[in-house]
Amino acid sequence: MNSDVKIKYAKREYENEADLATSQPYLSLENLSLSLSGESILNDISFALPHTGINSLIGPSGAGKSSLLRCLTLLYDDWQGSIAINGIETRAWFGGEDALRRHVGLIAQKPSVFPASIYQNIIFGLSRKERKQNQSVRVEQSLKQAALWDEVKERLHVPANTLSVGQQQRLCLARALALEPKVLLLDEPTASLDPRSKQLIETSLHDLAKTMPILCVTHDLEQAQRLQGQVIFMCDGKVIETAAADDFFQSPERIESREFLRWSVCDCD
Amino acid sequence: MKIFLCLLALPALLLPLACFFYIVVQAWPALNWQLIAGSETVGNLFGDVSSAGHGLWSQISGSLLMMALACLLAAPIALSIALFHALWATPSQKRMLITILQILQGIPPIVYGLCGLILLVHLLHWGISLAAGGVILGVVILPLLSSNAIHALERIPVEQTESAKALGLTSVAIIMRVWLPAAWPGMLTGLLLAMARALSETAPILFTATVFSGITWPDSIFSPVTSLQTHIFYLAQEGSNAHAVDMAWASATVLLVLVVFFSLSARFLRRYEESV
Repeated sequence: MNSDVKIKYAKREYENEADLATSQPYLSLENLSLSLSGESILNDISFALPHTGINSLIGPSGAGKSSLLRCLTLLYDDWQGSIAINGIETRAWFGGEDALRRHVGLIAQKPSVFPASIYQNIIFGLSRKERKQNQSVRVEQSLKQAALWDEVKERLHVPANTLSVGQQQRLCLARALALEPKVLLLDEPTASLDPRSKQLIETSLHDLAKTMPILCVTHDLEQAQRLQGQVIFMCDGKVIETAAADDFFQSPERIESREFLRWSVCDCD
Repeated sequence: MKIFLCLLALPALLLPLACFFYIVVQAWPALNWQLIAGSETVGNLFGDVSSAGHGLWSQISGSLLMMALACLLAAPIALSIALFHALWATPSQKRMLITILQILQGIPPIVYGLCGLILLVHLLHWGISLAAGGVILGVVILPLLSSNAIHALERIPVEQTESAKALGLTSVAIIMRVWLPAAWPGMLTGLLLAMARALSETAPILFTATVFSGITWPDSIFSPVTSLQTHIFYLAQEGSNAHAVDMAWASATVLLVLVVFFSLSARFLRRYEESV
């Protein structure tokens, strides 16, 4: 398929998104490989995410989990293979990479709020047109989805950096949700948070997973168990095993998975 | 050990202060309002040769005009260099850019003046003019401005840029809504330091922009100007005339006050930047 045809196809599909059959996976990766400075980071990755549900991406440090998320949002764009969202190649996305990133919400490990009020942070990514339409409703809705509304509803106009780290992370989640993304990618969202913030974020993710696919990178195996859904185990840039959470944690098929669950290390060479 | 190191550092602190006080003491007899605003007494010091009756006002305005023109020309270029460095330059291009800026910063200003004389004054037929002086001063301060702009952008946390990208903001939106609001105090600090540098440079404008007298306000951008820096230079050559030497000290004091004003403003702004 040449690129013009691909872009037309992408545009048509994007406009008729609601009509798409749910039988096909929402997000699919095929033979994804990435090299940075001559070093292989991702090697022939293939998996698919259904239209809803939580998917935990686990594996040791340096397995390529965060790099994978960066490929999905085109923050890295020199990868080989195929990434398709709702059947549309991400590189042929109508409106380019900026439009793609509005479709795919990405939450980083370290919360990063802009030096502005809580309210301004939430509407930061909205277009001028979006700001004119139901701006306050959107702010309230996204803060409720991120389980932050009750804590900040009386002080929406105070600087965002006065919030605790846990609240800032939920604010980042709300900021991404304000754009009404169709997929949510999270890179160790609770790595440095207290148990209470962790629990609130996990509850939010369970609610959000009813309407969209979520891919959550985590080092915390207990969290992956709590999140349920599908587990994708990566090691050394490769997907080793994909299974339902219960199956993976009770009877992993691969010896590398068993080793990782027992020792939190992986040697897949 | 601590006392020994303090004693070693003491001259570095005391010498500038001593120089400043010496200049002010020397200038004291000539320091009065007429020095700036002008009067017959001051104006007739050198008969027909001096800037008769106009005080130092024309020199101060000439220096400030050249400084403003230099900043006006260099600031957008420096901002473009910094944005190129942050957005598109590869690591090797970044290294090359920083090296070039360091080399440019190390070139003696008199060399820039000579280039300006040949290229702008003679080849382009601009003549000795405000434009030629402004352009050459702009070139002199460009490396300083660029380095400051680059560092101001580098101080923005990478996470903020990544967050803005993840929200689907375009490069222009990231520059306007994330980078510039965060980097402006650093960039303005750099601009104030560059203003101080432009005010203190004499060699580049000696050949390209200034005359000793006969000018109060330039008729156009292609007219020559008088400046404080070169005024001091000319007055200092009149060593036999005691009043000329007093005037040189007084002019030096006025120039020093202007330079210190811009430098201290930059320092206060940096403190504000660090506190935000």
